[in-house]
Amino acid sequence: MRHVVFRLEKDRFALPLSAIREVVVTPARFSLVPRSPPSVRGIMNLRGRVVTVVELSLLLRPDHPAIKPGTKVVLLDRGRRELGLLVTEVDGIEVIEKVGPPPPKAPPTVKGLARLGALAITVLEPEALDIAVMASFSRAVPSPR
Amino acid sequence: MPNNVALCAEREYSPHAMAKRVLVVDDAIFMRDIIKDIFASGGFEVVGEASNGVEAVERYKELKPDLTTMDLVMPFKNGIEATREILRVDSKAVVVMCSALGQEALVMEAIEAGAMDFIVKPPRAEDVLAVVKKVLGEA
Amino acid sequence: MASIDISRYLTLYVSEAQEHLESLSDNLVKLEQAGSTGEVIDEAFRHAHSVKGMAASMGFELTAKLAHRMEDLLDAYRALKEKVDRASVDLLLSTTDALLGHVRASAEGKDVGDVSALMGALERKLYLLKPDTSPRPSAPPPASVAAPSAARGLGLPPRYQIKLKVAAGSATPGVRAFLAHKRLSGLGNVFDLRPPLDDLKAGRLADGNFSLELESTFHETEVRAALKTIADVELVSLKVIEPDAPPAPKTVEPEGPRVVGQEPARTVRVRTELLDQLLDGAGELLLATARVREVGKSVPEGARGVLDSEVDRLNALVKDLHAKVMKARMTPISVMTDRLPRAARDIARRRERDVELTITGAEVELDRAIVDELNDPLLHLLRNAIDHGIEPPVEREKQGKPPRGRVQVNVRREKDRVLLEVEDDGRGMDGDKLRAAAVARGLLTPEAAQGLSAREALMLACMPGVSTATDVTDISGRGVGMDAVKRAIESVGGTLEIESQKGKGTRFRLQLPLTVAVVQLLLVAVGDETFGLPVAKVSGVVEFPEAQLAHSQNASLLPFGNALLPVYSLAALLTVPGDDGVEQTRPYVVVEAESGKVALGVDRLQGQEEVVLKALSRPLDLVPGLAGVTILGNGRPIFILDVPRLLV
Repeated sequence: MRHVVFRLEKDRFALPLSAIREVVVTPARFSLVPRSPPSVRGIMNLRGRVVTVVELSLLLRPDHPAIKPGTKVVLLDRGRRELGLLVTEVDGIEVIEKVGPPPPKAPPTVKGLARLGALAITVLEPEALDIAVMASFSRAVPSPR
Repeated sequence: MPNNVALCAEREYSPHAMAKRVLVVDDAIFMRDIIKDIFASGGFEVVGEASNGVEAVERYKELKPDLTTMDLVMPFKNGIEATREILRVDSKAVVVMCSALGQEALVMEAIEAGAMDFIVKPPRAEDVLAVVKKVLGEA
Repeated sequence: MASIDISRYLTLYVSEAQEHLESLSDNLVKLEQAGSTGEVIDEAFRHAHSVKGMAASMGFELTAKLAHRMEDLLDAYRALKEKVDRASVDLLLSTTDALLGHVRASAEGKDVGDVSALMGALERKLYLLKPDTSPRPSAPPPASVAAPSAARGLGLPPRYQIKLKVAAGSATPGVRAFLAHKRLSGLGNVFDLRPPLDDLKAGRLADGNFSLELESTFHETEVRAALKTIADVELVSLKVIEPDAPPAPKTVEPEGPRVVGQEPARTVRVRTELLDQLLDGAGELLLATARVREVGKSVPEGARGVLDSEVDRLNALVKDLHAKVMKARMTPISVMTDRLPRAARDIARRRERDVELTITGAEVELDRAIVDELNDPLLHLLRNAIDHGIEPPVEREKQGKPPRGRVQVNVRREKDRVLLEVEDDGRGMDGDKLRAAAVARGLLTPEAAQGLSAREALMLACMPGVSTATDVTDISGRGVGMDAVKRAIESVGGTLEIESQKGKGTRFRLQLPLTVAVVQLLLVAVGDETFGLPVAKVSGVVEFPEAQLAHSQNASLLPFGNALLPVYSLAALLTVPGDDGVEQTRPYVVVEAESGKVALGVDRLQGQEEVVLKALSRPLDLVPGLAGVTILGNGRPIFILDVPRLLV
């Protein structure tokens, strides 16, 4: 199956091509989303549509030190709602046939590990990413007082 | 259109003793594998697979399965649309949605569209078989 | 085999047949109250006739046959100039419902149900009216095949009372229950669903239990069989309720509600999504034009004249197009109110109430999206008024009221708002009991409850814990799901007020915006961010030195008029960074919140703008305090704040 391979700093990840609508360059600015979880970078205007963009690094590994702002937004195809993932760089499209089991204690967002030549790639589960974003929102909802 | 009518009729007369024929639709291969194994263990015959909604409708027309399991969110055409289209082709089609927790609203949309039931991912064999046998009137 | 592909005409058939049947249902209700046989019965006959013809040409034989029998019966009444008795109206209405069911089934490519019971009832009625000319009715089908009591009495299809329970271990009880509901609605008409659909879908079930009544021409065994196909839903009990007995009290004949001043609406059906897409498109054009104008500013002065005038012309055209799209979305309120007389009649009969329903101002128009949202709330208010407001005739007489209760739905336009009132002359609501209920539910302290004004106490009926508590329903005089009603009204930018006098009656006042799609915003800046506040919610703006704010306990207070208003920093409320450093003087926007006026401290004001509001899609709709999102002329997306909910 063909995958889009991308990086968070040096670490390589992949998502199935079929789950991705497009990849766009990070806009000059995002509008902040009030009362949102830390992983939410903001919203952007994509040809008249409003897309919510999350910092993938913070979504996957909240305790990991912050990384430099990403240069690309990977847009997940989630039906009517739009979800963008901010990543350091997109490497390209590669065929990944064999996805091995995820490492122990991996979050549900990780589908498994794969090898591409000498490179180790973490393959992500698009549906679980979507659920992780929703879940972070339901947890975030701070009370004003 | 008349063609489809003929197809439906043909299915009605298929002998009961034969294993029920299943089409499995999901965009994740691993998920399809899990579901396939479950059906095999329950004595069903998985006759086909599809990885997106467009393919699902095509495969349905060609295979006329007794049961279709349908992922909700898929590329090209989502599970709800595909279900609608399948039911337009064959109003007696039995479609069971596969959903993750948290997708309740989408599942209800699918039920509105005519889906007969749903199973929750990750699927557990006994749950899946219980739901499926019920909708096929075998339990 | 038919050589023409009739499927192409299916959509048209479905929409037209539904329109005919809805009008027919109206005619029948009118027929019953007025007893008039003239024009109304002619009209009813024509609708039945049209449906028969359309169904026949589409090849839907059973539908055509049933419509034909109905046409025969209406024709007999027309010829005999005889008053149509209640039993016959019941029968004709049931037939209309069955035909609507057929049409819906055809739309989905499904088979229609068994019509023999209704056919038999129609034929017998016809035979009684015209024994010489009409064919002898076939004997009622044997009980093992027929629905249990369909052929008996009034010819109403039987009604089943069904109690169900979702298995305790189910991870998704709401969806399970919804599935059962959906399966049963496929068999007939569902009434009296408990809990109401919203609660059911959300899985708010007591121990997994829910119940409903099903009016269906299907046999009990078929209903049971349908329920057997659903996993994790257990049938607790199923029993047949006899259809309503013929008129019981002799002195006070409970009649259906009377309708005054109601005009049928001529409409063209357009899919709502298409209207939404049109509006999106027109909105995008407005933005695109603004962007072209921006780009034009970089063109050298000398060459710009032509460009500017062309952009002006384009702008005018686009604005005109936008206005026309907005206009096309305007829908007369009659779309919602047309079905109320029938609903009122059914509810009144079931509850043995005698009710006159008056509707005025149904021609007033609202945006399609608002009309769609308000359909259910309005029906709910009507049901509450009859169920819980209007007393039984005997009780009314004891209190010196006329035995027939009055429910009025009055609509009128007031400036840029629409005022919709649902008023009854029933028993009214009891503020003290609502206070007690709120305290009992732990929602208020006894002191807080006593501190509420009479009007505020009535609004307690809209608090989730109070309104859904079944034990409170009857004593407080108001029913289930008022919180959902209030939420729906507010979601379209409207407000709800309740006035009530014990023993005299209750009035619900809905103030609604004409459109949801376009809002006038006050743009405010917080740090680098811009937010929109609907101008309708803004009472004023003041610049005030921060150092001179009054203080009490932990709160800062802003003098405004004669009052001191609590001050909130918008940056803190929204958890976005504001400007650094303490400003000497900053603007405060005074808004109407749920608790009264409050002042929101912002960093800068950025003027007003009229924008096209977009709905929030997942996950943004999970954030409390956001009403929508829009894209400004500079291409920047900004959030529109839901002022009443900001502070909740």
